[in-house]
Amino acid sequence: MSDDGTLRPFGAFDSAAPGHYGVSPGAVTLAEIPISVAWNVQGDPLHPAFLAEAKRRFGLALPLVPNTTARGPAWKALWLGPKSWLLMAGDETVIVPPAGFDAQRDALNAAGGALFDLSASRVAFMVKGLRAAAVLAKNCPLDFHPRAFLAGNCAQSLLGHINALIERPDATPTFVVMVPRSFAQDGWRQLCRSSAQYGYDVVVPVSMS
Amino acid sequence: MTQRFRLPTGGIVDRTRPLAFTFDGVPYQGYGGDTLASALLANGVHLVGRSFKYHRPRGIFSAGTEEPNALVQLARGAHTEPNARATTLELYDGMTASSQNCWPSVRHDIGAVNNAMSRLIPAGFYYKTFMWPPTPRWWLRYEQVIRRAAGMGRAATQPDPDSYEHQYAHCDVLVIGGGTTGLAAARAAALAGARVILCEQNVDCGAAPLPAGTKIDQTPASEWIAAVASELLRHPEVTLLVRTTAFGYYDGSLVGAIERVTDHLAAPPAHGPRERLWKIRATAVVLATGAIERGIVYANNDLPGTLLASAARTYVERYAVRPGDRAVMFTNNDGAYADALALQAGGVDIAAIVDARTDAQSSGILTARARDAGMVIVSAATLIGAHGNRHVAAVDVASRAGVPAQRIDCDLVCVSGGWNPAVHLYSQARGKLRYDEVLASFVPESSPLPIIPAGAANGCLGLSEALAEGHAAGIAAARQAGRIAALLAPPRADPLATAPLQPLWAVPAARKSARRFVDLQNDVTVNDIALAAREGYQAVEHLKRYTTLGMGTDQGKTSNIIGLALLAEQLGVPIPRVGTTTFRPPYTPVTLGAFPGHESGAHVAPTRYSAMHAWHVEHGARFVNAGLWKRPHSYPRAGESEDDAVNREARSVRTTVGVVDVSTLGKIELQGRDVAELLNRLYINRWDTLAIGRCRYGVMLRDDGMVMDDGTTSRLSDTHYLMTTTTVNAVKVMQHLEYLLQTQWPELDVYATSVTEQWAAMALSGPKARDVLAGLVDIELSNAAFPFLAVGTCNVRAASDDPAGAIPARLFRMSYSGELAYEIHVPCHRGLAMWEAVLAAGEAFGIMPYGTEAMGTLRIEKGHVVIGPEADGRTTADDLGMGKLVNAGKWCIGKPLLDRSALTAADRWQLVGLTALGDAPIPRGAKIVADPERKAPNPMLGHVTSWCWSPNVDAWIALALLANGRARHGDTLWAVSPLAGAKVRVQVGPPCFIDPDGERLRV
Repeated sequence: MSDDGTLRPFGAFDSAAPGHYGVSPGAVTLAEIPISVAWNVQGDPLHPAFLAEAKRRFGLALPLVPNTTARGPAWKALWLGPKSWLLMAGDETVIVPPAGFDAQRDALNAAGGALFDLSASRVAFMVKGLRAAAVLAKNCPLDFHPRAFLAGNCAQSLLGHINALIERPDATPTFVVMVPRSFAQDGWRQLCRSSAQYGYDVVVPVSMS
Repeated sequence: MTQRFRLPTGGIVDRTRPLAFTFDGVPYQGYGGDTLASALLANGVHLVGRSFKYHRPRGIFSAGTEEPNALVQLARGAHTEPNARATTLELYDGMTASSQNCWPSVRHDIGAVNNAMSRLIPAGFYYKTFMWPPTPRWWLRYEQVIRRAAGMGRAATQPDPDSYEHQYAHCDVLVIGGGTTGLAAARAAALAGARVILCEQNVDCGAAPLPAGTKIDQTPASEWIAAVASELLRHPEVTLLVRTTAFGYYDGSLVGAIERVTDHLAAPPAHGPRERLWKIRATAVVLATGAIERGIVYANNDLPGTLLASAARTYVERYAVRPGDRAVMFTNNDGAYADALALQAGGVDIAAIVDARTDAQSSGILTARARDAGMVIVSAATLIGAHGNRHVAAVDVASRAGVPAQRIDCDLVCVSGGWNPAVHLYSQARGKLRYDEVLASFVPESSPLPIIPAGAANGCLGLSEALAEGHAAGIAAARQAGRIAALLAPPRADPLATAPLQPLWAVPAARKSARRFVDLQNDVTVNDIALAAREGYQAVEHLKRYTTLGMGTDQGKTSNIIGLALLAEQLGVPIPRVGTTTFRPPYTPVTLGAFPGHESGAHVAPTRYSAMHAWHVEHGARFVNAGLWKRPHSYPRAGESEDDAVNREARSVRTTVGVVDVSTLGKIELQGRDVAELLNRLYINRWDTLAIGRCRYGVMLRDDGMVMDDGTTSRLSDTHYLMTTTTVNAVKVMQHLEYLLQTQWPELDVYATSVTEQWAAMALSGPKARDVLAGLVDIELSNAAFPFLAVGTCNVRAASDDPAGAIPARLFRMSYSGELAYEIHVPCHRGLAMWEAVLAAGEAFGIMPYGTEAMGTLRIEKGHVVIGPEADGRTTADDLGMGKLVNAGKWCIGKPLLDRSALTAADRWQLVGLTALGDAPIPRGAKIVADPERKAPNPMLGHVTSWCWSPNVDAWIALALLANGRARHGDTLWAVSPLAGAKVRVQVGPPCFIDPDGERLRV
């Protein structure tokens, strides 16, 4: 990555050009994952009306166990806090019409909850491969061992000194690291720098289902 | 001379891989597997440095991290590393090392004159000598000379060319030390199902020597070690780290360890770090750090050719090097006998074993073996002194009965005074230590933390017992993590009957002037300790500071216990009463570069970029750091100065139109039925009257009534609001809100989230702003449809080639510049498209981007305050001219304290505008006085908070806080800066220089 801070729309970077970097053969794959929609739903889980409205709207029960995720037919929900979740399209290829936002917000407000559009707030990176956990462990104090960070878990922590939301979508060594958009360059640089010793391939933006 | 002292067979060295290296410019050859020390000894080089204070010749003393003498300067490409321990440096082809602390050479060192004058420079001499004349000025001069004379190596002067990284790790059981004990512990824990990390500081496990013929579980010990190490290496839940030193135990069972990744390679790979700092969190720690041998102090015990007995043996067995031809062993325990047998097997002639114990006291099996091997054992005797010039040539041995001393020629003295368990990390883990009379050393007693000492680190020197301890510790540690082991037999070795040690710290000297060194690295002698005790430095920590005993790179690993035992002798108290100094991390020195890791240079903090950053770069923006953000300061054109650019940009906003990137402003969305109530409590003004589709300026106070932050809040729907904060306070205001909502007012139905990252924002300002925007948006912009302080949503026509189509935007008619202005917020990923669309649409109107400097000029012209310069934590809303905003009919944070008499006094400093009378700029940070010529103390009436050249007023203008300022409009005062030597006449006026009635906002 150039240090002049070149940032293109959608968080694509110069050093994110597809190709192989570092030692060969590679043991890590990095990619940007486009985020089509990310809505922050907030509300009190002690209020059944709120939970019911969220379920009706998004087709899933909001996960109440800390650092877990839940999936519905169209959406998945990441636990962010006791009263806060991040709703993302379960399959990024299905574009949820953002025009629907105002109606959803009003319905949740009426049920005592809240809905904020954060679709452009974060940039997501996929870290995949045999050494994916090692790359994250250079930057984040969490335990990424499969016994500790299960498929379907998510957690908010640090990537270097950047806030990061980390999700493990499945049991393969794959992690999704989401960082605030303005910090995305530093986050990407940090992932590349930590991956070089294992060798890494940058692939074109992919969607995660 | 090619490796005259190398043995033809044996050891771990690879004779097929010769390595060339130079020491002090002389080329030598060693083999793969050597350390620098073993390679030097193979070439017969013992003299490697000069001592710290007396510049006495010093040789290799140990074979490990405890080395006090063999510190070398390592040069490698752009980097130079001082104080590298030759005993742990793995040799690579082309290594270039040199001795330290000597000039012109290690053999002929001018500084050795200190040795002749040593009686004049006892411990603490500089505290006594250089305290006159009694002014700090003289001490500072002396210090420069002393530092040059002493010192250890030379620090690098160039930036560190290497890279370092951090690695977090988690495990159930961390085993520190990969000796036989540690291997037994790690194996047991792994078999119990625990996640295990094993740290070994050497290149391989089980490096410590064992008696010849030792078997573990019926197999030769070396085979057992290799098998277990390989089993651990293959185990999926075990991480085996070699070349890794656990250097510190910190709160919460966090262990710091440093892995030397590439130091042993002649050509380090292009990717990856030189060193890796591990931060390991373990449920339980097994401390299997072994023990460190200590010497016995006698006259001239620092001559090169003097080694710890176990080290001499390590050179023979591990590196296949004879450290000498003819050795005298000096011991008070059985260990040296095993060492003597190994040395003899390596071809070293054992001239004598001098044992301080009587025959009856030294009746172990090893003694018998030595006797069987034909060795001369001199019992109940001591080595009273050594002779030699730069190398030991002979020793004097005296029996304790007072028989005349006997001189024995030798070129090697191997000393063993017993073993000190490496309890450093145990002590750091708040572990209590106990003085063990049998070992004559400190051993672990109890720790409140989950750290289990085992083997030699626990004072258990026998192999069979240590294996059992290690095994049990591994099982116990795994159990702490909830991993229960199936029944598993511990590894077994035949016990070895040994005779106990008889403590002996220092042998009395035949002559009073003889030098007996306790701490080789810091040149601390027995006499220095006696002197310190006489002068009242009787606490062990005071002894350390006064004499420097136990300081330096080795932290007294071989000397501390001897020193405190001698202090106890001086004071006539038992050793436990004296106690130990505090064991502080790091256990061994850690390269400073490892601590910042990746976070160095430009990356010491992260950088935040707006969505339009690439455009700013391409268009020649100069940037300013605003917190972590990079913001355009101005956009100078070719040949244009920054000042000219700022003036051009500021003028364009007043005359035509300009656009500025304000993405960095804090943005917080609020939803719920009680948002208006929350805003009423937060802000001084009223919010329950704000209509949907309207925004309002607000000021929030701290609890003490001072202004905390300002910004606008818009009502987007019945229950949905958007608050903006200043760039600097974005995080602080969010924290403030979360604190209030979660702890003070949980009954309020309000949810909040930061959307700073969601929205790219720009302000379009100037008389032509509406004309620019009209061609872009799909809503009506007339004053009737979209008046001042209106808020709405719209779609912005993007460039025709933008596949994403129209840009959904939030539009705000608000103004910071004082001109007709709109703020446009778009989802961040469309920020650049929006920016480019605005600039394209504005081209016909002469639009210019402007930076933070022009923005500052515009707001000073309008008297808009900024958090920091004007709202400096000491100003109230009334001071800033916003007293009328404070709503009388409601409560808000900070309001109750506004009535304090000091806050309503007539001489409050109030915001005013200043105009310079003349061409001279108003000096930065100026004080305002009535008479610049008056002698100090010259009463200060106020100070300048912000200043600029105003291209629109055509004068130097400023905002200032001035005592009773609102009553002084029209006065002429002086802005003076004694620092700048400047004084400027200024006229006081209202803090607004352009359009005081605000007509331009509403056109």
